[in-house]
Amino acid sequence: MASIDIHGIRKSFGTFPVLHGVDLTIRDGEFIVLVGPSGCGKSTLLRMIAGLEDVTAGEIRIDGKRVNDLAPKDRDIAMVFQSYALYPHMSVADNMSYSLRLRRSTKEKIASAVGNAASKLGLDPLLERRPRALSGGQRQRVAMGRAIVRQPKAFLFDEPLSNLDARLREQMRAEIKKLHGDLRATSIYVTHDQIEAMTLADRIVAMHAGVVQQVGTPLDLYDRPANLFVAGFIGSPGMNFFEGRYVASGEGAELQLANGATLPLGKRLGIESGSVATLGIRPEHVVIADGGALEAKVDLIEPTGFGIIMHVTIHDIPMKIFTLDRAMLNPGPNVRVDLPRDKLHLFGTEGTRVD
Amino acid sequence: MTIAAHPQAVRPLKKRIADASEPYLYSAPALILIITVMLVPLALGISYAFRDIQLLNPLSGGFIGLDHFRALSEDQAFFRALRNTLWWTGASVFLQFLFGLILALLLDKPFAGRGIAQALVFLPWAVPSFLAGLNWAWLFNPVIGPLPHWMYALGIMDAPNNILSDPHLAMWGPIVANVWWGIPFFAITLLAALQAIPRDLYEAASIDGAGPVQRFLSITLPFLAPTIAITILLRTVWISNFADLIVVMTNGGPADRTQIVASYIFTQAFKRLDFGYASAIALVLLVLLLAYSMLIVLLRQTLLNKG
Repeated sequence: MASIDIHGIRKSFGTFPVLHGVDLTIRDGEFIVLVGPSGCGKSTLLRMIAGLEDVTAGEIRIDGKRVNDLAPKDRDIAMVFQSYALYPHMSVADNMSYSLRLRRSTKEKIASAVGNAASKLGLDPLLERRPRALSGGQRQRVAMGRAIVRQPKAFLFDEPLSNLDARLREQMRAEIKKLHGDLRATSIYVTHDQIEAMTLADRIVAMHAGVVQQVGTPLDLYDRPANLFVAGFIGSPGMNFFEGRYVASGEGAELQLANGATLPLGKRLGIESGSVATLGIRPEHVVIADGGALEAKVDLIEPTGFGIIMHVTIHDIPMKIFTLDRAMLNPGPNVRVDLPRDKLHLFGTEGTRVD
Repeated sequence: MTIAAHPQAVRPLKKRIADASEPYLYSAPALILIITVMLVPLALGISYAFRDIQLLNPLSGGFIGLDHFRALSEDQAFFRALRNTLWWTGASVFLQFLFGLILALLLDKPFAGRGIAQALVFLPWAVPSFLAGLNWAWLFNPVIGPLPHWMYALGIMDAPNNILSDPHLAMWGPIVANVWWGIPFFAITLLAALQAIPRDLYEAASIDGAGPVQRFLSITLPFLAPTIAITILLRTVWISNFADLIVVMTNGGPADRTQIVASYIFTQAFKRLDFGYASAIALVLLVLLLAYSMLIVLLRQTLLNKG
């Protein structure tokens, strides 16, 4: 187990920069999730930690030791690949013991390490099979088993659940969390799935276009997104945004929309009156009430079973409402809604959060 | 149902014959073609092996049973040709494979100009074998070719002689030409197999602690094994039947030192014009190659089942 320090990491492929200076400190035993859309550089960052990509600039330290120029095998890390990367011509047991055999561990040590990992992952009856005779979920387990037997300083996961179907993904997600609870191993997990990020992480690192947008606990990112990107990326259905002009008036303040309508903000915030701002509210925080301040035209109803996603238009701006009220399956052409002031997020001209 | 079945019972004979022969008529063109172009020559060739057929003797052509094979079993030239065939085929296939594999591994790594290099590698394959043979014969000829002088300068040879006229070295001439000519086949097929290996596996192995040699042994080789088996099988059969280079470069000489079974058949059939005896030798070669092919196919099957 070890801490990992990433300092000023940059990466370019040729002249094309993909990472613009990433700083991150990962504590011993922490579960970190790198999340972001495709092409944001999260996988590249992970592969640099693994040693599969060269570092253009900056420094990576594992357990205090600089590893920039170390080969992957000398970094004492294990990685689980999206494709699992199991050796097809080796049995499950051989796949799991390959790293130990390369290190010339004793037969007894290999047998006990493989046995322990197999029983932890329920692989005992499959040890003699070849990967092609396994289902997707079983292959996934073998890939994790291969990582566990080494007892490495850190586990790296590169979108390990993307190739599984939804039900299995849910199940493996819980297993990974349980496994981390048992092993308390430093883990870095890359995903584009925000549910995986929210459920697994001790801390989430949200990335976009090669830049870290926010680092924090899952609820930090949900409750207090640092900027428009994080606000829009975390949460499903995504946050609603109203673009307009921030106007301070007396004790309070309001957001003036393009069509002249105003949305009250409740209190004055730390930006200049008259500047461009974006107001955000999550669909689940919009309150439907007969006496609501705003009129919303109902466009579409999406029942999800658990709740209902309503597509509505307020002041010509499309937005979504998530409600558990089944009466809203047949809401009529218009509903009245309130935007509770303590649930509003305001983002300034640059898209950063304003409090 | 009886009503529906009734018309069939009184179907006219002609119609029944037509219906029964319909599938055979459809497949007839293909079958006739295969029989005429493949089976008839094969059967004819096999029958020659049991007949006395000499082009210059109008009285020949009679059935002589196993006489050719009795003569063959005492023919020292044939046994020498058989040994030479083993030597020629073994050395050519091994060297072609070795250099082809090295070339494929080099071309698998990305570098500037790789596309052009890959196209150039294929070039020798496009050279007609007779032209390749002539070229190499000239290269080995000290009067016009540079190779003997270079080898002399490097101290490999005592004097800048033509190795093709040295009984102890002559076989190396056609082998070198054959290796040059056949490398592209191995390089291209092995390169295709190499590029089908998922890169993830190499990355996983390097994280697991495997060095370049271990990665080659535990990932590259197992993945290439089926391709290696089938290409070596094909090349072995082709090369042992491949007399062009030998006929052009040495014509079996000096003193029959480069005579292989295929060129011996050529000599018997088209120089001595003894088609019967040549067919008998060809039949023996066919049986040997069939046995060899069966062996390799079985080997490949067990390899595939294991993997």
